[in-house]
Amino acid sequence: MIQKKILNITIIVVSVVGIMMIIWWLTKDPTAKFSKSLPGLDKRGVGDTVSENVEIGKIFESNTLVYNELPGTWPRFRGVDFDNISKSPVRLKEKFGSKGPDIRWTLSLGEGHSGAAIYKGLVYVLDYNEKDKADLLRCLILKDGKELWRRGYHVTIKRNHGMSRTIPAINEKYIVTIGPRCHVMCLDRTTGNFRWGLDVAKEYAVEIPFWYTGQCPLIDNDIAVIATGGKALMVGISCETGKKLWETPNPDGWNMSHSSIMPFNFGGRKMYVYSAIGGMAGIAADGPDVGKVLWKTSAWNHSVVAPSPVCMPDGKIFITAGYGAGAMMLQLKKNGSAFSLNVLQQYLPRFGLACEQQTPVFWEGHLFGILPKDAGSLRNQFVCVDPYDCKKMVWSSGPTSRFGLGPYFIADNKFFILDDEGTLTIIKPSSSRYIQLDQAKVVKDGADAWAPMAIADGYLILRDSKTMTCINMNL
Amino acid sequence: MAEKNPKYSRRDFLRNGTRISLLITLGTVGGISARHLTHEKYVWQIDPFKCTQCGRCATSCVMSPSAVKCLHAYDLCGYCDLCGGYLKSDPNKRSTAAENQLCPTAAIQRKYIEEPYFEYVINEDLCIGCAKCVKGCTSFGNGSLHLQIIQSRCLNCNECSIARLCPSDAISRVKGSKPYMVKGSFTKES
Repeated sequence: MIQKKILNITIIVVSVVGIMMIIWWLTKDPTAKFSKSLPGLDKRGVGDTVSENVEIGKIFESNTLVYNELPGTWPRFRGVDFDNISKSPVRLKEKFGSKGPDIRWTLSLGEGHSGAAIYKGLVYVLDYNEKDKADLLRCLILKDGKELWRRGYHVTIKRNHGMSRTIPAINEKYIVTIGPRCHVMCLDRTTGNFRWGLDVAKEYAVEIPFWYTGQCPLIDNDIAVIATGGKALMVGISCETGKKLWETPNPDGWNMSHSSIMPFNFGGRKMYVYSAIGGMAGIAADGPDVGKVLWKTSAWNHSVVAPSPVCMPDGKIFITAGYGAGAMMLQLKKNGSAFSLNVLQQYLPRFGLACEQQTPVFWEGHLFGILPKDAGSLRNQFVCVDPYDCKKMVWSSGPTSRFGLGPYFIADNKFFILDDEGTLTIIKPSSSRYIQLDQAKVVKDGADAWAPMAIADGYLILRDSKTMTCINMNL
Repeated sequence: MAEKNPKYSRRDFLRNGTRISLLITLGTVGGISARHLTHEKYVWQIDPFKCTQCGRCATSCVMSPSAVKCLHAYDLCGYCDLCGGYLKSDPNKRSTAAENQLCPTAAIQRKYIEEPYFEYVINEDLCIGCAKCVKGCTSFGNGSLHLQIIQSRCLNCNECSIARLCPSDAISRVKGSKPYMVKGSFTKES
């Protein structure tokens, strides 16, 4: 009897405890102590707090100097033919010799990555003067670096991994620049006289790209072509009058990237290929439908795109970006009057040719570029691939030859590669192996030497974040 | 028959021998103690310039969570909106939403300063030393985020289990008087 009583009590106690535990288990929230990571915890501001009326072209200063006009030009980003290959017959050194690089002049610049354009003995660089708070297009004499004139405007730029980062576009009559905060300025080339200005961010409701504008402007048949993003995808503006000639609609709301517009002739059409934030498009560059979208794709859509598309004669278009994006090879085809686009390859940076800032060079059927830091064991190496399979390295420069994010180009059948710290390497272009000819430090205490280089008449212009250097490479 | 030495008996010998032994022992112990007091201690530390962000610090340390934590060298930081150490690569949005964050434990706090600057602060208690942020910062930024062994959390084992497995030999013994190898010129307490 007692045993039965004890058993009953035990069953009741166990049942009560069990029920209580089930209730506790059902009511207990194991995530009660979790905190939610929701948007807005950083208390981000409403946007750009800098609001100012910029009088584009207001500043002008000149010096009376004499210079000799030279025949050579490097008139824009990626040179005359947009391929980063100089076709100049001027013979260049392949070794610096026992005396080292023949440095002709150096010039202190505002912190940034804006490269030079060269036109008939003059160097043009869009600098930011931190003291005066002004974007200044500086016109320098190629041979001695002395300043002929400067034209610009007051604008507030805060340091953000450098301030300036674009290269002017120049033809015989005009110069077009884009400043860090999307201010377009058009001048007469020889006199520096102001023609017109455009505040793209204000006119087109554009979000200024991270770390400021990286897009280099284009002049095509005296028309300034600017990829605006925002209210339009691209616009063509008369350099002579400043009048808008055509405008490409932007129904998808793509934004401006750091990439630049690349002209491309394919299938009997001339087009402007542009990689925006949101996608990539080919815009009719001539004819009655100028400004019309010939093709577009959103298959390539990354938050930061700095390199420009590399367009190849067979219709292949190679596009790459940093920050983990990798690269994509596309095939453009013409079907009747329409264009179509196929993705041939797409991969992360550790699986093939990809670049973070610089645009690869297409030379003799091969692509050359420097891999980003997130490319695994080949990080920062200079590599060569066949466009038919960009995931297979034809060769790489090896673990002892890494170049950071620096620029590279070809002149006189030599590759010139500048690393982050200002060491210039000369290699022999080859689709079979890496052949280094010489190497020398050309920027003392160099840092962040990322601006594209320019060469004309044997004078090589390069810069790190604060100093521009001219090297005489003539044989 | 040999005569006994009346001046130095066996008893005296044992007594003096014991005294000398005690003195030697006492001197040795005292010497060792003094050496411990004056001799510099060595501790384990990570050389951030050798670290390849393999992630083993999070899983191989005998401490749980690991004694390895992320430190931020503020003087090296670019204070970017698009921070490779805070946001996943190619994020949908640059926001503090969980799906955009790279850190698996939300140990990095992002604060807006002014356009276009953001400050990133490490919560040491949440950090597990996985180095994901360090890898992102090193790959896409200035490398201001870096790993260090926090000495107040480290047991200072004779054989450090992460030093044994570190593929880049980034962990070594350093003098206790300089126990950190911090990047940049200053960092902040978390």
